[in-house]
Amino acid sequence: MSVTSAKFAKETGPVIVVEDLRKRYGDIQAVDGVSFEVERGEVFALLGPNGSGKTTTIEIIEGMRSADSGRATVAGIDVSKNPKAVKQLVGVQLQSSAFFEHLKLAELLKMLGSIYRVKVDPVPLLEAVDLAERKSASFRTLSGGQKQRFAIAASLVNNPDVVFLDEPTTGLDPQARRLIWDLAKTWKQEGRTVVLTTHYMEEAEELCDRVAVMDNGKIIVSASPVQLIDQLISRGFHREQEVRLATLEDVFLDLTGRSLREF
Amino acid sequence: MFAKPAVYLTWWSIKMWSRDRAAMFWTFFLPLVIMVIFGLLNFGELGKVDLGIVDLADNEASSQFIDGLSEIDALRIETGSAEDERAALADGKRDLVILLPVDLADVHSENQIVALYHGSRQTEARLGLTVTQSAVDELNFAITGAERVITLTEESVEARDLGYIDFLMPGVIGMAIMQLGLFSVAFSFVTMKREGVLRRLLATPLDPASLLVAQVITRLIVVVIQTMILAAVAVFLFSAEFAGNFFAVLLAAAMGGAVFLAMGFAVSGWARTEQQAAPLANIVSLPMMFLSGVFFSRDVLPDILQRITDFLPLTYLVEAIRGMTVEGDTVLMQWPNFLGLAVWLVVAFVIANRTFRWE
Repeated sequence: MSVTSAKFAKETGPVIVVEDLRKRYGDIQAVDGVSFEVERGEVFALLGPNGSGKTTTIEIIEGMRSADSGRATVAGIDVSKNPKAVKQLVGVQLQSSAFFEHLKLAELLKMLGSIYRVKVDPVPLLEAVDLAERKSASFRTLSGGQKQRFAIAASLVNNPDVVFLDEPTTGLDPQARRLIWDLAKTWKQEGRTVVLTTHYMEEAEELCDRVAVMDNGKIIVSASPVQLIDQLISRGFHREQEVRLATLEDVFLDLTGRSLREF
Repeated sequence: MFAKPAVYLTWWSIKMWSRDRAAMFWTFFLPLVIMVIFGLLNFGELGKVDLGIVDLADNEASSQFIDGLSEIDALRIETGSAEDERAALADGKRDLVILLPVDLADVHSENQIVALYHGSRQTEARLGLTVTQSAVDELNFAITGAERVITLTEESVEARDLGYIDFLMPGVIGMAIMQLGLFSVAFSFVTMKREGVLRRLLATPLDPASLLVAQVITRLIVVVIQTMILAAVAVFLFSAEFAGNFFAVLLAAAMGGAVFLAMGFAVSGWARTEQQAAPLANIVSLPMMFLSGVFFSRDVLPDILQRITDFLPLTYLVEAIRGMTVEGDTVLMQWPNFLGLAVWLVVAFVIANRTFRWE
């Protein structure tokens, strides 16, 4: 699938608008009045500890869950009124994805394509996540990291304007994580919008134009990583450790190389 | 430009089904093995000789004669009018019918007992004739001492060749449809629900109905193929009777398939894991396998149980198919069984609709 930036870059303004979203599960107010906007072509992250409401928030925007109140729009379409139209526009990688048994990876991508009514060439999609050689494998036989990468390939079958990645790199080795970072950067260059959640702050720092930090269903702060760091320093924060010229991850990658494993 | 996703999904779903070896085994192989084993054992021939007696004499000698025959274990005796007994013989309900003449035991008349037998049931008829002959000899001896005043003449009657396989085939077809509907859906949907396959599909613009339609159509196609294979084996290997219209039987099979698929969806909606789905599907299917007239006639059940099992969905299905294959009934003639299936379809659909969950 060759994608030119022209397709996505034409329009300007926020592609996602979330206003005062609320969702309650029994006694727990999972999402408690969340509002934010994501600009077109931006990489945006929701950060926060487990149970802070990140996943519920993005699943409402994806049209997978309904909110108790509030509004979410994607490309001007109200998700609660027309979830199907939103789902047609976005690509989704869930925290844990599973796919039909008895279909090969390439077939799964074609099958998903038929749901979006698009014809899919599975090879480039699989190449992008370094799974081309396993195109005849079944999803179940993949390793954890391969499953995660396949789920990301699957989120791209409909050539989406907006890609949602829910903890895309959790449990991955540094090589696979870097592959996914590179993918996200490519998508940004192509003009796609990326919304992700992560527990890895260096990932958010590396990829994101802006982040929002959530806790107890609320957004506490939202700004660019650089701004947030500057704010912290301006309040007199000092990191105890002095600046190092390399990290342990650099050592790991130096020793084991940057190419992917598991073949 | 592109066909409806439901059409594509049906295609993928058929592809998936065809790669599922376990499903293949349960759907095609197992019912076939069951039919072949039961067909070879041929339980129908292990029974007694069904002897019909038409007592035209209705005198002391005739009742003595009948009493004498009644004491023989190998015989199951029914008495009735000549017309009824001939009809019963033609239907295969009797192996042998003897007509006792009005002037039985009258020393001055011809005294001919006529024995009509089922041409296709040589074994049973032969046994019945031998037994009857010795009873006749005894009667002769009682009347005259030795002289033969009563003779037994035989007459083969053109009758339909109905055996156990004719009873068994519709039963096994019905059972196979029940198992397919209940188990394949219950298990595959619980697996898809538990693993998160359904949740992943929920993130796509897929219309849930399309997925259900694809799954149902796939299995109805399998039901039709399964019915054809079982019928073909029964007819060509065991010379089973197939009197009715083939498409009418397929219609009944598809109708039954829909009922049990809806039940399978109800089970998969309730169950969270395969471990919960299995016992529930068994609780539903096992009693029916033995009480709906699959392997043996419900006539042997106690009266009250017969009345209850009249309303089981598998009873409706098996009896509709049996009516068609054995009696050559049309769909219209089988309307009460179709109505029964339709009622069950609505009930099962309502339950499935209430219990079904995507995650």
